[in-house]
Amino acid sequence: MNKKRDVAIVAYGETKIEFRGGKSAYDLASEVFAQILEKTGLVPEDIDGLAVSETMSETHNPFYSVYMAEMLGITPRWNQVTGLGGCSAIANVARAASAIREGYCETVLVLAADAQSSMRGTAEQGAQRHEFQYPTGLKGPVGVFGLMTQRYRHLYDLKDEALAKLAVTQRNHALLNENACEKLRKPITEADYLTSKYVSDPLRMLDSVMVCDGANGVLVTSTKNAKRLNLKKAIYPTAYSEITSYKSFDFTAEIIDTGFSVVGPEALRKAGMGVKDVRMLQAYDDFLIALMLVMEQVGFCGPGEASEYILSHDFSFSGDLPLNTGGGQISAGQAGLAGGGTNFVEAVRQMFEEGGARQISNPVNAMVTGIGMIPYGRNWGVSNVLILEQ
Amino acid sequence: MNTPSTPVKKTPRPLPKANVYMDTSPFWEAAQQRRLVIQRCPKTGRFQFFPRPGSVFSGRRDTVWTEVSGNGTLYSWTVTRSAWPGHEDRTPYICAYVELPEGVRILCNLFNTDGVELSIGMPVKLYWEVLENGTLYPAFQPA
Repeated sequence: MNKKRDVAIVAYGETKIEFRGGKSAYDLASEVFAQILEKTGLVPEDIDGLAVSETMSETHNPFYSVYMAEMLGITPRWNQVTGLGGCSAIANVARAASAIREGYCETVLVLAADAQSSMRGTAEQGAQRHEFQYPTGLKGPVGVFGLMTQRYRHLYDLKDEALAKLAVTQRNHALLNENACEKLRKPITEADYLTSKYVSDPLRMLDSVMVCDGANGVLVTSTKNAKRLNLKKAIYPTAYSEITSYKSFDFTAEIIDTGFSVVGPEALRKAGMGVKDVRMLQAYDDFLIALMLVMEQVGFCGPGEASEYILSHDFSFSGDLPLNTGGGQISAGQAGLAGGGTNFVEAVRQMFEEGGARQISNPVNAMVTGIGMIPYGRNWGVSNVLILEQ
Repeated sequence: MNTPSTPVKKTPRPLPKANVYMDTSPFWEAAQQRRLVIQRCPKTGRFQFFPRPGSVFSGRRDTVWTEVSGNGTLYSWTVTRSAWPGHEDRTPYICAYVELPEGVRILCNLFNTDGVELSIGMPVKLYWEVLENGTLYPAFQPA
């Protein structure tokens, strides 16, 4: 996928994000599917490819993507299930583009749905965790990001007001997003952030996502087919880069050095862009500190400069670098492992100029990022970047 | 039919399950003698932790369990206030990464500290916590 416009994203769908909404991943996925069919005028038999993201709620089923095809009533000639956590959604766009180019299929439904907050306790990562993690009581991602934040504070000047600014900016975006979780659609101030209680010091409650349920998806097809079907909207995934288990054999690598130092510059290079060309940043946000690391390591600013960079830029939808204009996961809610698609479909929505009250002007391109899986003694397992262009 | 008075059972603290994903018995046998052993790759001389089925440096399945001093430095820590299931009665407790001179880090609890005196880079030493079933579990404390 190197600056090509032969494959396009032609539609998107998204459910409302709900806390313990009670609907299954299949039910939520069906809602996204119905939206996409309605917007495009297509019927299920027009879709011959399916790429789904792994879940927390259905992962015990080893045939999840096959069940999904049966449940929705489609007959894929290419079927993919991707287990890269919050990276799966944009990873599936890249995989779908490859499958379309290879001729395995023509029109792919890229789908992410999860009911993590309603149907909990079915996924278990196992392996070394039973011996070397669970007995310590490390609080999963919250604990790991607490350790990372402590480390960042040791190495650099981390200004709490920069984190507070990100929290408030994203919350203001969620107030304008009807799909954001209602529990979170309440204004917050910087003072609210600064007095928010600690969950894993120095990580605060308002640094963190709340696990919810939700689904999102896009339709990917060849540009040629999009024209044949007379589809009105199209944007192009022009560059993609992904890395798993960055520095896997370096056990003393700095834990705040992440895979984004590889995939960020590489994706920009493939797109022929510099950071100054990025019109909007729709970045995976499980914790606010992750946004700082992504900004630094993609190259928006230098190492340790994120606080100053954040304080000197406007990340609102009308600002100089719009960031997570749907509220991000932190203020819209984390749709379980479908959360990796939340900021991605917001990018598509903005580039289709359907952002409503939060529409970004001149939405020519977007950088979308993903973060997946919490490993032992490191930051995260997978990092990826997708560049979308009009 | 229903017995509404049945009390909610507290999730017990997770105990290590040895030998599930690979043979880790040498680690736990040494731990019972208050010795910390980690895997060394004979081809490269490098150490790895957590234990793996093979060497991450060579791919060969010839790693050697090697005793280390357990004297290390504090790499980072976090005060856990919101517990992982089974650890509710321990809050607040400290989780940390300790770096060993052999070139690995261990995820662990810190004992014998109130948290206030901690600083990154400070020396730490082994502390063997006795778990509910008698298993000795490696943790650390200020040196």
